[in-house]
Amino acid sequence: MDLETVKERAGPRQFAPKDDMPEEYRKAATRMIQFHANSEVMGGYLEKPFIRQAPSIDRKLAFSAKVQDEIGHAQLLYRAAESLGVKTRDEMLDELARGDGKFLNCFHYPMESWHEVPMIAFFVDGAAMHRQATLKNTSWTPYAHAMDKVCFEEGFHVKHGESMLSELMNGSKATQEKTQAAFETWWPRIIQFFGPTNDKSVHNDFAQEVGLKTKSNDELRDTFLDTYVPKAEKYGLVVPEYPRIEYDEELDTYHVNEDDLNWDEFWTIAKNASEGSHEQINSRAQAQEAVEWVRESMHGWEGASGAGTPQAAD
Amino acid sequence: MPATLNPEDLDAEQRAALEELLFRLADDEYVHGERLIEWQIYAPTLESDLALANVAQDEFGHARLWYDLLEELGHTEAELIWERPADEFRHATLVELPFAEGDWADVVLRSYLYDAAERLRLDALVDTSYAPLADRVGKVLSEERYHLENAQSWLDRLAEGDSRDRVQDALDRLFPHALSLFAEPEHEAAIVDNGFRTMSTADLRIEWLETVIPYLESLGLDVPEPDEVERPSARGRDGTHTDHWDELAAEFRRTYDELEAPEPARIGRERV
Repeated sequence: MDLETVKERAGPRQFAPKDDMPEEYRKAATRMIQFHANSEVMGGYLEKPFIRQAPSIDRKLAFSAKVQDEIGHAQLLYRAAESLGVKTRDEMLDELARGDGKFLNCFHYPMESWHEVPMIAFFVDGAAMHRQATLKNTSWTPYAHAMDKVCFEEGFHVKHGESMLSELMNGSKATQEKTQAAFETWWPRIIQFFGPTNDKSVHNDFAQEVGLKTKSNDELRDTFLDTYVPKAEKYGLVVPEYPRIEYDEELDTYHVNEDDLNWDEFWTIAKNASEGSHEQINSRAQAQEAVEWVRESMHGWEGASGAGTPQAAD
Repeated sequence: MPATLNPEDLDAEQRAALEELLFRLADDEYVHGERLIEWQIYAPTLESDLALANVAQDEFGHARLWYDLLEELGHTEAELIWERPADEFRHATLVELPFAEGDWADVVLRSYLYDAAERLRLDALVDTSYAPLADRVGKVLSEERYHLENAQSWLDRLAEGDSRDRVQDALDRLFPHALSLFAEPEHEAAIVDNGFRTMSTADLRIEWLETVIPYLESLGLDVPEPDEVERPSARGRDGTHTDHWDELAAEFRRTYDELEAPEPARIGRERV
């Protein structure tokens, strides 16, 4: 199929592995899905310490299940990315370990206290849900299928994140203040989750033309703000003065003043070049390197059935 | 004999005996889960990560079941987990030991030793006289069977080839701690006489040794002689623990302490 045909036919779940897709499409789709899969792994990495630090046994269980779900999503997404025939899963995981794999800006920052947890578990996950819901209509069918399951599970995560935020904002005055401070730190990063504004985005136009994306960064960011500004306020959080968020009465939508955001920081992170990028990529890589001997042993077992590569029980 | 005893039927001695039995069950599962989650994100493959996370959540789920039974006897979650002095936890030292980085042989072997013991212990509770316990054993036992199978199929593979030395190292290190699983409870006589458990701890120990030793030897591993092995001074069951335990307890209570002792949140279920 040539690129012109792809653009003509582009629509929800239009293309599948049986189709002969042009290289440009396969590469763009791989880049996008690999980024998504990497983000699941690195998000899980960031949240993992809080399984231990959760302040109730129910929250501990829910948080452990959440980190497990992120790995499950990564597994699904790497499979969807592999179906494009550009890279294998091992290649993509190696790239992540080497620091060449890209992932969401928010997961490049360290997370140190429980007050920060809902910033990821409610707002970032909420933003992710918002974006992923539109990707159920992506043109690459295996990606859309993965989104069906991911969105279903993320719904529970966001609910849990909301309940954590609510608990903190009903806590002591000191707890509320620390949560507000965490919100102020994370809020600009959360807005940047949706990527650069349309005019600065390198990949946006092509991805939309071939139906990989169905909404632009700007559209997604605006509609996210429409839902989450009121939610933040409902729990007593005060949206910081900067970046300025303006309400457009004519279009009935919120809009951020892009110039108030730190785009140098964003682009540094996009190159995996921030301090947090190094810290998080390298410690994960080190842990993976430490079990290389297990993977090597496993190569000798291939073809054997059973739990050498155990599947989840349910 | 059907389980007939309920919380309101217990006298002081029966209650103390039952609590001792429940604390061991709950603390073992909780602390084992707490160590297993260290492998989430770090397991060798995405598939083994998922399987391990499943097991860790089962353990936390079982711990919660057993702590719930203690709540029925009048304790609160705060007392049971978040505020209990660290030296009142009754888990065996086997489950509190930290993992060396990348030591997948440890997690596999530790899980095997523990799951084999857990299975025998639960089998001896199927016909318990305490009704709330009898109601829950079946579900836990079915999940523990899967854990044991998972651990064994890993062990079967890892005990072959170059990785066997790592398994042997883990066995030498962990076996003395595993023996503490079977330290006799203070209220052993009351536990057995009242039918809370239908097998004595001494018999459980023998059965466990008769299970694990032949199996490990069949994999070509050298199992230390149980009665000659040098035992660690900390035994866990009596409240003595290794230094790692204080550190672990402080870590998992960090948020609880920082938030100034909130009522532990429940998700989708009522407080008993």
